[in-house]
Amino acid sequence: MSTLQGDQTVGGAVPAHEPRASSTWTGIGAERGGRASDGRRGRGLSTLDVVRGALLTIGAAVVLIPLVWMLLSSFKTAGELAARPPQWLPSSLSLPTYLANSVIVTVAATVLTLAINSMAAYAFAKYNFRGRDTLFVVTLATVMIPLQVILIPLYQVVASLGMANSLWGLIIPGAATPTGVFLLRQYMLTIPDELIEAARIDGASEWRIFWQVVLPLARPALAVLAIFSVIWRWNDFLWPLIIAQDESTYTLPLAIAQFSSELVVPFNLVLALSVLSVLPVIVMFLFLQRHIVTGIAQTGMK
Amino acid sequence: MTTATTGGGDRAAARAAVGEPTRDSHRPGTGGGAGRPGRTRRVGTGRKLAPYLFIAPNMLIFAVFIIWPAINGFNISFYDSSNGRTFEWVGGGNYARLTQDAEFWQVLGQTVVFTVAFVLLATWGAILLASMLDVQVKARGFFRAVFFVPVLLSPVVVGLLWNWMLDRQIGVVNALLGGIGLPTPGWLVDPHLALGVVVFTGLWTHVGFYTMILLAGLQGIDGSLYEAAKLDGAGSLQLFRRITLPLLRPTTLVVIVLATVNGFQAYDYIYTLTGGGPLGSTTLLVQYIYDNAFRTPIDYGFASAAGVLLFGVVFVVTLVNFVVGRRREAV
Repeated sequence: MSTLQGDQTVGGAVPAHEPRASSTWTGIGAERGGRASDGRRGRGLSTLDVVRGALLTIGAAVVLIPLVWMLLSSFKTAGELAARPPQWLPSSLSLPTYLANSVIVTVAATVLTLAINSMAAYAFAKYNFRGRDTLFVVTLATVMIPLQVILIPLYQVVASLGMANSLWGLIIPGAATPTGVFLLRQYMLTIPDELIEAARIDGASEWRIFWQVVLPLARPALAVLAIFSVIWRWNDFLWPLIIAQDESTYTLPLAIAQFSSELVVPFNLVLALSVLSVLPVIVMFLFLQRHIVTGIAQTGMK
Repeated sequence: MTTATTGGGDRAAARAAVGEPTRDSHRPGTGGGAGRPGRTRRVGTGRKLAPYLFIAPNMLIFAVFIIWPAINGFNISFYDSSNGRTFEWVGGGNYARLTQDAEFWQVLGQTVVFTVAFVLLATWGAILLASMLDVQVKARGFFRAVFFVPVLLSPVVVGLLWNWMLDRQIGVVNALLGGIGLPTPGWLVDPHLALGVVVFTGLWTHVGFYTMILLAGLQGIDGSLYEAAKLDGAGSLQLFRRITLPLLRPTTLVVIVLATVNGFQAYDYIYTLTGGGPLGSTTLLVQYIYDNAFRTPIDYGFASAAGVLLFGVVFVVTLVNFVVGRRREAV
């Protein structure tokens, strides 16, 4: 077997897996009940709970205090700025366009990423085919190529395909994320082969197995990848800076950058825009977080 | 290697032999009971081709937008472009220049120190956070959301934010420290402290990401194992060491690999946090590459050589991670 293959068993898989597959389903229910009661089992709080609570609270404070401070600062000096002629937004800045561009790029790129990454991850996790290990190592290796290193040759490729200064040029080149393939593949390794074999015996096509058996089971990992794809694209700065030369293709971070590169940098506005630009991502996260938490228990195995 | 495949085939054959009549009507996609019979034929062609079709779109984009430019970049590293216009073949000349560049060695050392500290602290921090957030604590959802928020921010903004927080004069941190009578160091102007601050900012930015990945991994651990161990009288710490850590290992490996890559490629938040200063004490490899490639004097061949070296270092470290991870799994 390959050296990179995870703990997927091959030879003795079938007998070893049967009991586990069935116990997982009931086991998760037991886990919820069992571990939920862990914290308060009649006798009140244990030392561990106190330590845990304290650590979590300190951590949360370290995270939240700067953010609250940022939020407050973004309002604080507004008064000082208002002393000058109140120029909230420079006339050249058309926020709706930038916002729309950001949304289009983020949504399209994320859908594309989820589609092609999950397909590739499934092939890497559950098929034996010639060249698999080589291709997987190559895929992994590309994680380590910093964008800065390939910036100029990459721009030349994109320009020669006519995608420079267009939203396509922002969407397509980064869609095949090695991180996504890796994350989904590791997760798909944990899906029992028996499920796939059973579907095959029932006559399902390879595509159907992928679409109706594997993808629903991989939902927690897909949710994680979706969240990160959105974040990457929404906050992406260096690549749009190179590709989007025309203002009609600017995304939100570029607009913020344009703001902060003005002669007198209106820091509070930069902060306010940053706060605003982060809101949609937070909303999305709160929405998708449930998918992660409910996880495997509510999918597929039913 | 072939066990799974033949196993399925045998079972299908066995079932067919037991009673199902073999018809040749082939109705793909109908599923259920009616459309089954054509399966043996499809196993032959469809299953062989399927993996290639599955990886094709991903690999096409990879090839065009990552691998091909990377090969080009590798190629450029053998050319001298220091005049900014022409490319002249110099063989290993750029690499030889790198090894003689004192700044390069300083930057490389700082990058390694930063990355080692970052990977260790980030991995252990994320494991602890994830295991604390996996069990039922009060306001668990709140904590999970809070620790994730920094990941949502643009790294450029994060760098700016901590730059303000840690400013010697107007920063909130020193105002608080001074208020309770503690020393107020120049976090970002003291070369001995600045790299530590960069590590901290990196952790602040990334640990939520790793925690989330590990939480997804924890969901996959069979809860009955904990129940069984508890019945045998295992304490919380033992549960963590004997069950959580070993079973979480594949996911932990993902986190270590990602953290290693993030460590070696740290750039954007450092740029707004310290700009690589003071006295170059927080200049890491990617900034070194970027400065050589896009700041005057532009020397793209030289920068590409540094980029190739960076790639090589990360590649080797990741392979080592995998080999060690695999060996531990085998034991």
